[in-house]
Amino acid sequence: MKAVVLLSAGLHPVSARPAPVPVEMQAIALARTLGAAAAGLHAGPGGPGVADALGHGLARIGHLPLARGADPLEALVNHLAAHPPELVLAGRCGQGGEDSGLLPYALAARLGWPLIADAVALEMQGPGVLAVRQALERGGRRTITVRLPAVVTVHPAAPAAAAFAWGQARRGVLEVLPVPSGFAGDAVPAPELRPYRPRPRLIRGAASGGSAADRLKAATESAAADGKLMVGPSPEEAAREILAHLRKLGLVPPRQPR
Amino acid sequence: MAGASAPLLGLAVLVAGLLAAALAAHRLAGWRTGRPAAVDWFGGLAALPRRYLHDVHAVVARDPFTARMHALAAGGLLAATLLALLGAIPALGGLKLWWALVFLAFTAMLAGSLMVARRRLPQTPRRLSRGRFSLLPFLLLAYAVGGLVVSGDAALGGVLPQVVALAALVLAAAGLLGLALQIASGPLRHALAGALYLVVHPRPARFASVRDTGLRPLDLAAPKLGAELPADFAWNRLAGFDACVQCGRCETACPAFAAGQPLNPKRLIQDLAAAASTGSNAAYAGSPYPGAPAVAGLGGPLKPVIGAGAMIHPDTLWSCTTCRACVEECPMMIEHVDAIIDLRRYQTLEQGAVPEKASAALSELRLADDAGGRSPAARADFAAGQPLPVLPFEGGETDILLWLGEGAYDLRYGRTLRALLALLTRAGVDFAILGEVEKDCGDLARRLGDEATFQRLAHENIATLARHRFRRIVTADPHAFHVLKQEYPAFGGSFEVLHHSQFLDALVTEGRLAPAALALPGGKPVAYHDPCYLGRYNGEVEAPRRLLDRLGLPRVEMERHGLRSMCCGGGGGAPVSDIPGKARIADIRMSQAVAAGAGTVAVGCPQCTAMLEGVTGERPEVLDIAELLLRAVEAAGDGQEQAA
Repeated sequence: MKAVVLLSAGLHPVSARPAPVPVEMQAIALARTLGAAAAGLHAGPGGPGVADALGHGLARIGHLPLARGADPLEALVNHLAAHPPELVLAGRCGQGGEDSGLLPYALAARLGWPLIADAVALEMQGPGVLAVRQALERGGRRTITVRLPAVVTVHPAAPAAAAFAWGQARRGVLEVLPVPSGFAGDAVPAPELRPYRPRPRLIRGAASGGSAADRLKAATESAAADGKLMVGPSPEEAAREILAHLRKLGLVPPRQPR
Repeated sequence: MAGASAPLLGLAVLVAGLLAAALAAHRLAGWRTGRPAAVDWFGGLAALPRRYLHDVHAVVARDPFTARMHALAAGGLLAATLLALLGAIPALGGLKLWWALVFLAFTAMLAGSLMVARRRLPQTPRRLSRGRFSLLPFLLLAYAVGGLVVSGDAALGGVLPQVVALAALVLAAAGLLGLALQIASGPLRHALAGALYLVVHPRPARFASVRDTGLRPLDLAAPKLGAELPADFAWNRLAGFDACVQCGRCETACPAFAAGQPLNPKRLIQDLAAAASTGSNAAYAGSPYPGAPAVAGLGGPLKPVIGAGAMIHPDTLWSCTTCRACVEECPMMIEHVDAIIDLRRYQTLEQGAVPEKASAALSELRLADDAGGRSPAARADFAAGQPLPVLPFEGGETDILLWLGEGAYDLRYGRTLRALLALLTRAGVDFAILGEVEKDCGDLARRLGDEATFQRLAHENIATLARHRFRRIVTADPHAFHVLKQEYPAFGGSFEVLHHSQFLDALVTEGRLAPAALALPGGKPVAYHDPCYLGRYNGEVEAPRRLLDRLGLPRVEMERHGLRSMCCGGGGGAPVSDIPGKARIADIRMSQAVAAGAGTVAVGCPQCTAMLEGVTGERPEVLDIAELLLRAVEAAGDGQEQAA
């Protein structure tokens, strides 16, 4: 099986130095769980952050050189259409660039492939059939089966990336691929910059008016009134209470009379 | 003719000697699989007697019984064997006096052999190995008793019946042959390999009373980085593994072993020696790695050492705090920590096989120059409100360059640094910090085997320091102290570096700080906990104690202190590797402070502070030397104000 991991030129959030994007390194680890022959693909200016992916388990990275700030979509579509892999893996969002997370969607749309977002585990179900474990909100998970080829984005909750191995990075191959003229991509219009304005955090159901102490009391009392504290209950007793609570929330069907 | 069987004893010695030589030659040939090493043969040979009689003896003599035992047994054995061999020469063998001399030597050996046996009676101490080692007293006694009877008989001119003399000769020869068979893989290997290892020791400077403890730089252009196979070690390191006599002193000193973590330095060295030769560690009969996951136990000179299918489980490797207690205790001068770092280098640089949390720390170090990924601009935040001069980017000038280290990010160690700043200001010291351009010194990266990151940080820090003029560097972090002082010179940065305890001690001596006598709450004494990287690594155990004594504090010593102190568990990346054990090293250390009756533990290291303060429950207070000194200086100031 042939997989391609899309790599972006990330920046470290503190040092602002070129750095690999953690979720993309997790994508490499996921590709390796499939036993796939994974190669990296980067369309952009390149740099040490991209090359670092060689130390995280990729033996080879293809580099489509583009000017900084150019839209990589056309070059990627052109390359992937000419050399189609079975699976394209991407991070759910870059780090230090535009970070919109839209590229995988645009790419899937242009290739006409399905896209499964936020994968945390991959498993081959048969030739050309991939089961994707998808991360949902609040720790939820569901499995989606997809026929390849497909684009899959990886969620930060996926298993940890392989540690960086300097010796492997040294041995890995960074291959510059040709970008035909006309596919170099237009410069993405510079985003408008505005100062960050923090929004006030609203506490749901909080009383407005009154003194700060009153509001705090109103906010905390409602939360405190809802629970029940049991110290050292027996397992049966505890289970009964949990079930009753879940029934109250409507998460468990009401008890059926025997 | 003086005792017909006596010259035959010389013959037996000759046969046993040839046998031993053949066996030993086979074993020594195995060292050739190792990498080449630059060895000063002549210097080493010339220095051998001193290294043996002075340096080795200094370690052995810490256990006086063993020292006497070894002197008598080994000295007697060597002397008696050599004299008996010469007794085969008719001119000497005919002299009764000669055999009286042999008799004397055997008497000494017999006394030593009895002590060897006594040491294992009624119960063999846990640190000693059994197996072939349990056989050793019998072989020694057989040779000693047999030799004693034969030589005694010869000295008296043959008074014993022929049968008895012959039986004694057979006994002596059997014992001697048995001993000769132990030369390749038994207890006696240490004698030959140990002597050779003393000659070709990879750190000859340590015999010149220099604390040569800095790690050797790794050539990052080499085709393979670090040690994967036994053959990746230099040949004189392989000699070191073979020199191990399994006395178990390292095992009793090892903090990870005490905490039930899967590390036992003795077993580690034995496994390395086995991997380099026979490929099986089945003959090992000492303490295991506590609670280590099972491994296949298969090895060979060209087979990987680390892994579940090999000799040593990776958890063993990552349990080490690099405290050097094993090296300090080793009478054979084996360099355990060097071996561990070599193995870690391969795991980290070539395999990327570091524990998960350590990998995160290394990643931040690589990309943001700090293990916690914290901004260098936040390093001096602890000093908010206190004067803290910062050098300009270039061309700064100061007397004392204060190296903050990564402890500055820690709120607790920030208090220590605030105390240090207050003291420096009071003493009118001209000091400054590097500010945002100070990067992590690279200690953590290096101990975890990430030599690439360490060398980058070293080069960048050295370049930064080269842009300024200063006389000395002072730091409150012994790890930074060690790296700057001992490990940066290999990369072209030689600086005069002081630990803050040394500098403060000098300030008090010069009268620039005048501490009053300090009384600690409860009147309980203070115990000083030596940081490994200040004490064992750099030999500084006096200055902090001198300083504490100047404060008029009643001081007690913990059972393990000074150069033989016990680690807090915070070095070598152990806190980030976080290999589980049965106890915490810091808890063990704190219980030693309690046992010594201390009410306060004085520290001088951010790691020790964090580890010892992490001990839960009722315990002595943990205070840095700078904090104690500041209290005393402030008390003196208050006293003067009241008097005025």
